[in-house]
Amino acid sequence: MIELKGVTKGFNAGRPNQFTAVDDVSLTVEAGRLTVLKGPSGSGKTTLLSLTGCMARPTSGRIFLRGVRTLSMTGGEGDVFEVSSLPERFLTEIRRTAFGFIFQHFSLVKGITAIENVMLPAYPTGEGHASFKKRADRLMDMFGITRHADARVDWLSGGELQRVAIARALINNPTAVIADEPTAHLDSRLSREFMEIVGRLRDEGKTVLIASHDPIVYDSPLADTVVEMRDGRVTGTRKKS
Amino acid sequence: MKTPINRHMNILEFALSSLLRRKARNLSLLGVYTLVVFAIASLIFFVHALKREAALLLKDAPDIVVQKMVAGRHDLIPVGYGKAIGEIRGVSKVTPRLWGYYYDPVIGANYTLLVPDDGRVTPDNIIIGSGVARTQRVNAGDLIAFRTYNRLPLLLTVKDILPSESEIVASDLVVMSAPDFKSMFNMPEGLATDLALTVANPRELSTIAAKVAEMYPDTRPIMKDEILRTYDAIFDWRGGMMVVMLSVAALSFIIVAWDKATGLSAEERREIGILKSIGWETSDVLVLKFWEGAAVSLTAFLSGVALAYVHIFFFSATFFEHALKGWSVLYPQFRLTPAIDAYQLSVLFFLSVMPYTAATILPAWLSATADPDSAMRS
Repeated sequence: MIELKGVTKGFNAGRPNQFTAVDDVSLTVEAGRLTVLKGPSGSGKTTLLSLTGCMARPTSGRIFLRGVRTLSMTGGEGDVFEVSSLPERFLTEIRRTAFGFIFQHFSLVKGITAIENVMLPAYPTGEGHASFKKRADRLMDMFGITRHADARVDWLSGGELQRVAIARALINNPTAVIADEPTAHLDSRLSREFMEIVGRLRDEGKTVLIASHDPIVYDSPLADTVVEMRDGRVTGTRKKS
Repeated sequence: MKTPINRHMNILEFALSSLLRRKARNLSLLGVYTLVVFAIASLIFFVHALKREAALLLKDAPDIVVQKMVAGRHDLIPVGYGKAIGEIRGVSKVTPRLWGYYYDPVIGANYTLLVPDDGRVTPDNIIIGSGVARTQRVNAGDLIAFRTYNRLPLLLTVKDILPSESEIVASDLVVMSAPDFKSMFNMPEGLATDLALTVANPRELSTIAAKVAEMYPDTRPIMKDEILRTYDAIFDWRGGMMVVMLSVAALSFIIVAWDKATGLSAEERREIGILKSIGWETSDVLVLKFWEGAAVSLTAFLSGVALAYVHIFFFSATFFEHALKGWSVLYPQFRLTPAIDAYQLSVLFFLSVMPYTAATILPAWLSATADPDSAMRS
């Protein structure tokens, strides 16, 4: 579904603090599977997630998306988008419709309720409020946080925040879910619960891509592919037999 | 169904709930904002309504008033001048008028004394304005004591009190008979305060005025338009004084509002980053900030204007009384007829709503153009 070919991402080009976060990475993230990017801090996992999720453009190399449909665009030959060359406006549309993001610090908007946070990605889509509110209710019910729907996120526990973040990632019914160190702030029990949810998503046909250095994630029997990274390069790939 | 209206409605809803998060900050801002709009809108309503009122009342004023001048000062005019002036072609009527001012040392107020040309007041009687009746605490039938030029008392009976609709110009008025007026001021016979001319064709006014000035070089003809212009100037001047005072308040508000609107907090910048990373476009963020700014400024504008309307047209400009009405003792109590100057109100709208909204959008635009992966790295 997602294919990266010789992707490189550098920062601060031409300055003394220039560095390369992702160096010539070629990778295929299969549709409907759970792929885990494993590696220590600074290995380039987060940058690779940003590139894959159309949040940033590579310095060089190409990224292809297959089987993604957006409101205003259809893929070219074989239903394939080359996202590395698309302007920002189209990337936003792909980001909004094809991907759901779960961030390391959950990145929820403080001061508003859990359900408002869940609905946030749907606001600018132009969909009727009642329609996505129904979806948000269903998602909150699915993750057992309905009773916190009208509570401000500031009052929720780490595990509850995590579930709100997952529900938010799924509100626009994305094809793929991208999670960056999703268990970094959870204890082991909550981390296992998170992996159970990921398993359910995968079983529903979602493509899941997780960057983590938590063994609960990369050693999980649910992981279909584990890609090891170090210093911005892929150092190994392990596929579930 | 996906529609642009839904997009705006959804973002507007989020903008409102977003504003409610910083309740104290936004409510205090809204309060001061409303107050500034209220003060300026009150001023606009008041001056405009006064000018309109004055123009309406002055439509019955004489077409030309002829005054005698001595050493650049207004002097009494011989009634005999009227005969020759009345013979100028186009002048249909010349009326010698008697009027003046009287200072009441007990109350400390100035009254305007006027002798009507229709003889509706008989000797020993007067008709007074509501302001005079209030300060003297008299009703129809009561006696008022005036002091003549040689400090002798002159007792006059109040025959009637002028209706309160005319209070704006008649609050301090005392209408008396010619003999009473003359004996009060020891005025020689054959002299009047000025001459009022009625001219049939308004287009001949300036020609007739020129002829009068030529005929009697010691006179000054004043046309109705000039009187209206003077009233306009007086109200504009009073309004101007208030604008100077208000501009200080407005300026301090602008500085505070600018600071609040333009300075995005770290939290707000973080939020913009989150919104971009979950699929909001830069334009969506700008729409959000537009609605935030518009909600505050539009609410302040509408409530400020509504409050000003009530203040001026229902409570007779209570807060501006001392600065704008201009009488030292006899504050007229009147209710202005609602009159709104759409042009001035539009200017106020653009000066109050637009800058604040723009000041809200601009810094957001700078933040919203940041890379969407900032949330990944926060």
